Amino acid sequence: MTRLAHLWDQSRCIACGACIAACNAANYGSSTSPNVSWNWLRTNIRRIELSNGPRPMLYLLQCQHCENPPCVTVCPTGASYKDRDGLVKMNYDLCIGCRYCMVACPYDARWFNESMWTPVKCMGEECQARIAKGEQPVCVAVCPAGARDFGDLDDPSSSISRRLANSRYVKLLDNMGTKPKYFVVVGP
Amino acid sequence: MELQRREFLKLVGTAAVVSSAFGVVHVASASQQAAASPSGERVVSVMCGACGAGCGLLFVERGGRRYLLPNLEHPQPGMCGRPASALQMWSHPLRLKKPLKKVGDKFVEVDWDTALNEIAAKLKEVVERYGPESVVITRHDVHSWFLPLFQYLVGTPNLIGHEGTCHSASTAARAAVLGAGGPPIVDPDYENVSYLVLVGRNLDAAMGLVRRLAAARGRGVKIVVVDPRAPNIAFGSVEWVPIIPGTDAAFLMAMAYVIINEGLYDADFVKRYTNAPMLIKPDGTPLGGKEVGVEGDYVAWDAADNAPAPLDKAKDPVLMLSEEARQRVGGARTVWELFVERVSKYPPDVAAKITDVPADTIVRIAREFATARGVIEDGWYAAKNGNDFDTYRLILILNALVGNIDKRGGLCFQESAGFPNVCDPAGPDVVTVTGVKLPAPKAKRLDKLLYPLNTSTFDAVYEAILTGQPYPVKALFIVGTSPLQRDARYQMAVEALKKLELVVAIDIFPHDHVDYAHYVLPDLMYLEREEVATVRWTLHAAIQKSHKALDPPPGVDARHAPWMFMEIVRRAWRDRAKAVGYDERYADPHKFEEWERQLVEAALKKVADRFKVSVDDLKKALEEKGFVVLKRKSYGVRPYKTKLGTPTGRVEIYSITALKNKLDPLPDYREPLYTRPKAPDEFYLVNGKDNVVSSHFAFTPNAKYLGDRTVWMNPKDAERLGVRDGDEVELEGIDNGFKARARVRVTNRVREGVLFAHAFLGGRRSSLITERFAYLREGVNPQWFTTGKIEPVVGSAPTNSTVRVRRL
Ligand code: SF4
Ligand code: SF4
Ligand code: SF4
Repeated sequence: MTRLAHLWDQSRCIACGACIAACNAANYGSSTSPNVSWNWLRTNIRRIELSNGPRPMLYLLQCQHCENPPCVTVCPTGASYKDRDGLVKMNYDLCIGCRYCMVACPYDARWFNESMWTPVKCMGEECQARIAKGEQPVCVAVCPAGARDFGDLDDPSSSISRRLANSRYVKLLDNMGTKPKYFVVVGP
Repeated sequence: MELQRREFLKLVGTAAVVSSAFGVVHVASASQQAAASPSGERVVSVMCGACGAGCGLLFVERGGRRYLLPNLEHPQPGMCGRPASALQMWSHPLRLKKPLKKVGDKFVEVDWDTALNEIAAKLKEVVERYGPESVVITRHDVHSWFLPLFQYLVGTPNLIGHEGTCHSASTAARAAVLGAGGPPIVDPDYENVSYLVLVGRNLDAAMGLVRRLAAARGRGVKIVVVDPRAPNIAFGSVEWVPIIPGTDAAFLMAMAYVIINEGLYDADFVKRYTNAPMLIKPDGTPLGGKEVGVEGDYVAWDAADNAPAPLDKAKDPVLMLSEEARQRVGGARTVWELFVERVSKYPPDVAAKITDVPADTIVRIAREFATARGVIEDGWYAAKNGNDFDTYRLILILNALVGNIDKRGGLCFQESAGFPNVCDPAGPDVVTVTGVKLPAPKAKRLDKLLYPLNTSTFDAVYEAILTGQPYPVKALFIVGTSPLQRDARYQMAVEALKKLELVVAIDIFPHDHVDYAHYVLPDLMYLEREEVATVRWTLHAAIQKSHKALDPPPGVDARHAPWMFMEIVRRAWRDRAKAVGYDERYADPHKFEEWERQLVEAALKKVADRFKVSVDDLKKALEEKGFVVLKRKSYGVRPYKTKLGTPTGRVEIYSITALKNKLDPLPDYREPLYTRPKAPDEFYLVNGKDNVVSSHFAFTPNAKYLGDRTVWMNPKDAERLGVRDGDEVELEGIDNGFKARARVRVTNRVREGVLFAHAFLGGRRSSLITERFAYLREGVNPQWFTTGKIEPVVGSAPTNSTVRVRRL
């Protein structure tokens, strides 16, 4: 089997914003229209700061490519589906714009793209094209801090598998049964 | 660590499902577009022009998609959030599109010929009436290679950059202590560091450094960040030391105290490669060889012969004199004795009171740094408190105390690529890279008259404009820089700009100063032009070529600034243009590229000769890969095999350069140049940059969200003042009375008693900013509140200040 997954290393991220803006450039044509759902730019990555705790904390959030994705369960048309590579994808031709998936996602990882009149999310089309060519998704490719990785969890020699074997990490809302595949590394 | 759903939703805010007012728009999905042109892939190597770091990038075009990626083979690969938004900059609605001329209080579009002819005529008139030195040119990094040619063709000494509010202080310290130059010339060997201390430096550039540091972080190397606010890098695993602004020198003094008292320094390095053994007379000047009957200008006491000896010849130089020896050298003391005495003023408990960093934290960091033989970064954006020269001297001295200079994992000297300047002074003349002699200006650069050790101090120009001293200033070219966001005398600058007879703004965006220009000329952005340059921020010697990736978008009639300069010169002084081989044949911007290439070719020829390679090979590599590495870093050269550029050739703990310029030859902790906050509603206002925006990238629509235009306040201060997150407050400069409003972000990213605002971002005021971009006016420009006082001799103008906060 193939289970493609993302890793984000919170302990190494320098919050440079390259991944966030590059996702906008590559997948949304550098669109300058707002992302109304998130009050944010048109990108699949959100930036959340925790600024009241004992120390500053940052989370970069995006689709977790859940193994048990609630967005797929609620989709009435099959537009949201889990592919054989382990990624949760959209078939825009089937989407009727009902947005059940947006509500169902506990990570708020989907936003509504008014230009397409469908919800959208990671992976965007350029990133899918890139991984089909054996390249890394854009956010991973641009990161200057070595804070991102992407690859197959079922391949023990993949760089993401090796990194996870040597890191402490958390999965977000792991208790909800979604089986997320977005690994937040918190240290070696 | 596990986030519960409720906390998580609180954390991310609930999904607002908004029914959209937009209609259904059908767009061909991008994969279809790509399929329509399957072979349409283009990859172009470019040098990032979004900040001064010049990281290596690749412009990628696939089907309909365009984006930038880091050039991973490049010795200094990108990239950060700024170039990731470059396409938004390229097609930005606010881009300057046509030459503009001020008529009354309005701008009107004019054609290029009209603009250039009128500027040339006015420039000529100013030069004839007031002398060429009455023309001043200012820049940031863009076009900095070409501009000296324009400067010398006009005949002015006054090409005065941005450094007075950037790295003037740290560069003066590198010159005084290490005999070295600007920020990238000396840098930590990031991938091999064993322990890294960043004092007021956030690594917001260059990204190649961040990549190299990632390798060290993979080995678990510790990073300490000393800063009143937590910069972006402090989100990760670093130790953040939230220090009181302007007290870094006291912290560093106490580190030196611990390292010396606990014997953690590298005594051999200190004796052999610093001027610590040098003898200083009671009057503070060095004991000369003649005075004790030995050779040389500097003397040490040699324990091997129990006699004075030339500093570099002493076999066993002592750091502490015996009383007998002291009598024999007229009561002189060693530099080490004087430094130890100076440092003894700052035991950790005393420094703790000044800095609000606990004494045991100072002691621990000093021990960790010294035992790991770590490195303290040597400063880039350094104009903060007006006592910065001392801070950076201490940083360099601490690196020397642990003997970590030019070693693997230490503070290293960059290998020089020897890429020549476009013009260089040669005897009484100035000679261009193509060998043409130009007359050297007669007048002296006006900021240098006041601040001899500076890189530049543009704030001095405003005073000269208003007073006419030391000589009149009448014309100003502002090239790719935003003085009203950059300089520390905002109000004076506005008055001064209004007094000039000719202001020409050459830029991409309407920064505040554009409103005061008589002519505005639209420049190309970095994706639209080519450039060959040194690769900065790598320790290897390398050059790179940025290729043209795009033409300006439809409706933007932008031109290459060097073409504008040469056209202005040609239209004002045909003979001067002719002298450098420039005539009307090159008036066509495409033909101009040919003329410019011969300058670059001449520069490449010099590089090729230096490294004994062929120019053609260099050019081929620059075309194919975008860069050439000419020499890889070799460690252990300076000061071990080659002397440093300081007067003694050593690391100067006791600076002869400072002494000659009537500054304290030893570093100390001095008060900042602004009034400190005293009352409960008074705060330090510190500022900084980050890797999401720059002065130019502040304009991109992405920066509406990624840029932060708020003023940060610590939760404890907010509670005390009854201010809530998002509240609007009024800030009033304690030293200048300037008032402005801003929204508060309550955050633990700033220490108590301190506010933080991003530099170059908030408070944009140009009248050319349209309603769609009204958010650019939000927030404050930190320079509104600064004192405008300038650090003596080194000419660094503090950009931090103090303000009173009033709830609204
Ligand atoms: S994988 Fe691609 S679509 Fe997903 S967040 Fe990264 S850049 Fe965006
Ligand atoms: S590109 Fe990397 S370092 Fe920059 S914000 Fe994204 S994850 Fe963090
Ligand atoms: S640090 Fe960022 S903005 Fe500066 S040159 Fe590098 S990639 Fe460009």
